[in-house]
Amino acid sequence: MTTLAIIMLTVAAWGQRLAGAFLVGPLLERRPVLSRAANLIPAAVVMAVIVQLTIANGRTLVLDERLAGLAVAALLVWRKAPFIVVVLAAAATTALLRSAT
Amino acid sequence: MDESADPDEVAGPRLSKADFATMGITFFSLGVTLQVLLIDAGTSTTRAFVASAVIFSATSEFAYLAVRDSGGSDWAAIAAGWIVATRFGILAVSLSQKLPQGNIRRAAAAVNAFDPNVAVAVQQSNPAAVEREFWRTTAGMMIGWFLGIGVGTFLGPVVGDTSRIGLDAVFPAALLAIIGNMLRKKDGAIAGAAGGLICLTLLPVVPAGLPIILSVFGVAIALLLVRQPAT
Repeated sequence: MTTLAIIMLTVAAWGQRLAGAFLVGPLLERRPVLSRAANLIPAAVVMAVIVQLTIANGRTLVLDERLAGLAVAALLVWRKAPFIVVVLAAAATTALLRSAT
Repeated sequence: MDESADPDEVAGPRLSKADFATMGITFFSLGVTLQVLLIDAGTSTTRAFVASAVIFSATSEFAYLAVRDSGGSDWAAIAAGWIVATRFGILAVSLSQKLPQGNIRRAAAAVNAFDPNVAVAVQQSNPAAVEREFWRTTAGMMIGWFLGIGVGTFLGPVVGDTSRIGLDAVFPAALLAIIGNMLRKKDGAIAGAAGGLICLTLLPVVPAGLPIILSVFGVAIALLLVRQPAT
């Protein structure tokens, strides 16, 4: 991770929270559509990050044990399992399948 | 978020000692994992510790790593980190409206806004309780997080092959759990599916980093498909 990245990501995380609390909040209250859109951004973008981390290797699509781990995680999230259980089960599934192949 | 708080409503859920411990353990394990993976990706131990101590957004660090890992430029990776950090801006919006008046205390709480502490805080019935439960939850998270990144920084260089123990599956699972509640709503599910599909389709064809940035258009698709009655 470059120094530039550390600085810019710190500005992103702290700055957007402060902007949210003091600038965006009052603005969104007056524009319901913007408010809905803002609330949907994490679902779309975090899902894209999940795709990148799970079924890609660089710019090639790869299906491997990570996807099985994510499938187990998805099932557990849907069944409302505790966070720590979701994470451990995903890691264990992936590790076990890897050791089996 | 429903703003209609019933004045007679009993106080929201308070964090039990067990919840407090779970919160600490969760953030401890996330901190350890993030450090080990950062160091595995070639970041020096000091740099990895500083990054996780100041950035306050594991999701952004992860989006950054995902883009760099796929061969994207530093700026593309930073842009991806910025976009996923919008989540925290949105959390700060819902938190700050419920806190007691005062710019300094609101700012202090805002920069510490994460999913679990905001979720606990906004369910409280009055501003004083919101603030108290917010900081109690934050304390549990932060103790776990800083211990975790401390331990992870020492473990990083000795773990070796992180994929052997399935560490690369931890963050996708953690991220899915974080957005789990959004995906239960129809528009959230469509936004998520569209965002994931956009990334999947574009991945082999556009420069690295761009698929994650462009997945933001999944929001437009969800807004078009799920119309809500105008209020």
